[in-house]
Amino acid sequence: MAQKLLEINKVGKSYGDSVILSNANLVINEGEFIALVGMSGGGKSTLLRMLAGLEETSAGSIIQEGNKIHGLNKEARVMFQEDRLLPWMNVTDNVLLDKKGKQAVAEAAQLLEQVGLSQYSTKIPTQLSGGQRQRVALARALMSHPRLLLLDEPLGALDALTRTKMQELIRKVCQDKAITTFLVTHDINEAVRMADRIAVIKNGTIWRIVENPYRGKESLGDKEKEVEISEEILAEILE
Amino acid sequence: MENIETNENYHFSLKLKNSLPWLIPVFLIAFWQVACNLSWVNETLLPSPIDVVTNGIKLFKKGELQENMSISLYRATAGLLIGGGLGFVLGFINGVSHTTRLLFDSTIQMLRNIPHLALIPLIILWLGIGESAKISLVALGCLFPMYINTYHGITSVDPKLIEMGKSYELSKKDLFVKVIFPGALPTILMGVRYALGVMWTTLIVAETISASSGIGYMSTNAEQFMDMKTIVLCILIYALLGKSSDFIAKNLEDIFLEWRAIERRDTNGSEASGDK
Amino acid sequence: MKNLKKSFIVVLLLFWCGVAVYGWHLTREDAGSSSLKNVVVGYQAGDEFYVSKIRGQFVKKMKAKGYNVKFKEFQNGAAMMQALASGNVDYARVGDTPPVSALASGTKLTYVAAGGTKAKGSGILIHKNSSIKTLADLKGKKVAYTKGTSSQYMLLRALKVAGLSNDDITWVNLDSDAASVAYSKGKVDAWANWDPSVAQVEITENSKLLVDGTTTKALNRSFIVSPTTYASKNKTLSKLIIKYTEQDMKWANKNHSKLIKKMSADLKLSKKVVRRSITRRTFSMSSMSKSVVKEEQEIANVFYDNNILTKKINVSKHVQYLK
Ligand SMILES: Nc1ncnc2c1ncn2[C@@H]1O[C@H](COP(=O)(O)OP(=O)(O)OP(=O)(O)O)[C@@H](O)[C@H]1O
Ligand SMILES: [Mg+2]
Repeated sequence: MAQKLLEINKVGKSYGDSVILSNANLVINEGEFIALVGMSGGGKSTLLRMLAGLEETSAGSIIQEGNKIHGLNKEARVMFQEDRLLPWMNVTDNVLLDKKGKQAVAEAAQLLEQVGLSQYSTKIPTQLSGGQRQRVALARALMSHPRLLLLDEPLGALDALTRTKMQELIRKVCQDKAITTFLVTHDINEAVRMADRIAVIKNGTIWRIVENPYRGKESLGDKEKEVEISEEILAEILE
Repeated sequence: MENIETNENYHFSLKLKNSLPWLIPVFLIAFWQVACNLSWVNETLLPSPIDVVTNGIKLFKKGELQENMSISLYRATAGLLIGGGLGFVLGFINGVSHTTRLLFDSTIQMLRNIPHLALIPLIILWLGIGESAKISLVALGCLFPMYINTYHGITSVDPKLIEMGKSYELSKKDLFVKVIFPGALPTILMGVRYALGVMWTTLIVAETISASSGIGYMSTNAEQFMDMKTIVLCILIYALLGKSSDFIAKNLEDIFLEWRAIERRDTNGSEASGDK
Repeated sequence: MKNLKKSFIVVLLLFWCGVAVYGWHLTREDAGSSSLKNVVVGYQAGDEFYVSKIRGQFVKKMKAKGYNVKFKEFQNGAAMMQALASGNVDYARVGDTPPVSALASGTKLTYVAAGGTKAKGSGILIHKNSSIKTLADLKGKKVAYTKGTSSQYMLLRALKVAGLSNDDITWVNLDSDAASVAYSKGKVDAWANWDPSVAQVEITENSKLLVDGTTTKALNRSFIVSPTTYASKNKTLSKLIIKYTEQDMKWANKNHSKLIKKMSADLKLSKKVVRRSITRRTFSMSSMSKSVVKEEQEIANVFYDNNILTKKINVSKHVQYLK
């Protein structure tokens, strides 16, 4: 049914003697929201960085629309665990980065409005809260119209309330813009709340992929299913 | 009512804070004048501040003072621009390129440990005693602090920010202009401030090499004839020039590193409120 | 407020640059025009070239002959010899000892001209109330001098005249500033020195010369020296320099009051001091003669005998007799 955007094909990664990943397989479809969960140190960030082209694979290949990813993946944009905003630039300039022109400025303003930061456009990052900073980082990532949005635990450092708000925001924006999203998280509830499919990383490979038809549904029955799936995944990881 | 009072108190304490740094110099000068008036010190060994100032006015009217000052300022500035510029370029190149770093850095570190004033005899023999010798000496003095700070500044920019820039497809130029340079700027400006200090100290020495103009010449010339007023005047001028260049450097930091000032103000604010 | 500060700094920087550019112009002013051949003349305040410089005729006459004269001031003879060795000075006016030391250290220089002496203003200073009355009284006393300068030669000569040996006095090697303090504080009993410093000390420290150069034969003569290769290529130029400075010296001898006024301002000495030093010397400049070469040879010999020089110098090999 859905178009295939990217295929992770028997990918392995090792640093020297230590093998981090081996024989990992995953297909990411156009427009879907996929989450990657697993133990800390399990190689989640490593896989994400390989998708971004910030790291080379040691074995296997990552094919994006028929091309093997080698070097920077220009279709993708990463939102890092830390916001990585430039502290010497104001919010608008951070969103714009190297983009110039009236149109770009207008678009940046529109994105800032979308993430609810219109009145902060001239502030510098140190004047913002953690959640606000991550929203700027989201706007910055969206500014380049990526086809693939790679999120590496961007909400890890936020408090529970802000976190929930951000989850909704990200989910909504990605859906509106039909951006394929790959979310790395250690919070299984977050994964279940946001993703269409959840990949579980274990023993240095993609162990299982869980379909999540109940994502974001409001009815009580579905909520219960969500909790069920979460517990199932957790049990699987800890097994 | 109360509000106004605290407000006034605040303004008063602000004034006090602003004048605090001047307290000791003013007190010292006053003490010095009094000591001279009461003949606690021998006038031929230490003339009074008023004598020094009147001597300065006399030299100013003759045109000597401002001519020598402008010549010194020219030498200092030229040396700073050449040496500082070269240090910046070298530091920049070595900061970004691994190959040149391997090629040059250890050599530069080696040369850095030679006190630049020890090179005076060589510089005289190579470049003579004209302007170029003096300017080169100042340039040599300014080169290393600028090099070290630029190099250090550029190599210690947060690699995560650089990775972000690269992954957001910034061109080499943009990566430098928007990420690396601003990130290195605080350290580079520290280098500028340091170079300014070295600039003046080197210049004093440089101008004692057969100069026929400049503040250093005025001072050594006066020394020959035990003209204490002029000697002290020259020392005061150096202090003044040093202070004003430091003032400029500090304000440049404030202007270019406004983002850091905001950060600091924030943390200061929270600390102050935490106190109470 | 912030903008105010910014514009203030900008104004300050512009002012800085403006002043620096002005300074640059000042240093360029004496660079002179390029069609003329540059001649760099080294001098010390108060000497023969200084007289030529303040009179102003010398530069004009030289310009008319196609030379652009640049005066360079030095604080002492050693610095001037260093500049001469590196080819940064074409003609240098020095006292009688620096060229001998320079020759011994391998500098290739040639004596081009000889000036007058400061015999009456060079000698051994003592306080008027000092217990030292005759040269012989120096025995056992502390005497300040500066190593390698005329003052060392003076002292050596004075001891010889007095029939004392070198070990009969305590030699205190001090540069002139330190010596001045040591002398006025009574840390040394006598001080071998020369004008205008002698005149200054005589007046301000109630002192007199125990002996001067007319007795010791340490005359403290002026010379003009030039790098050997330069001198051999520029004989006509050397002759011109001798001719014009000679004219200036005649002027100086006739115009004491003008000279005193200018010198006291430039040297920052009182007119009284300058007058005393000027009236007891005669300005002159002429080409080298056998008799002055003999004087120099004597200095070289004495310095060699006292291990001040490590090499024997034959002065006559480094002389041009221009006629
Ligand atoms: N450059 C590197 N060199 C050597 N080992 C590395 C390197 N980068 C990561 N590793 C190792 O690879 C393993 C996986 O790291 P990774 O960052 O992918 O884990 P993660 O699943 O993202 O964990 P977390 O949830 O804590 O972020 C870790 O054991 C780490 O030590
Ligand atoms: Mg990680």
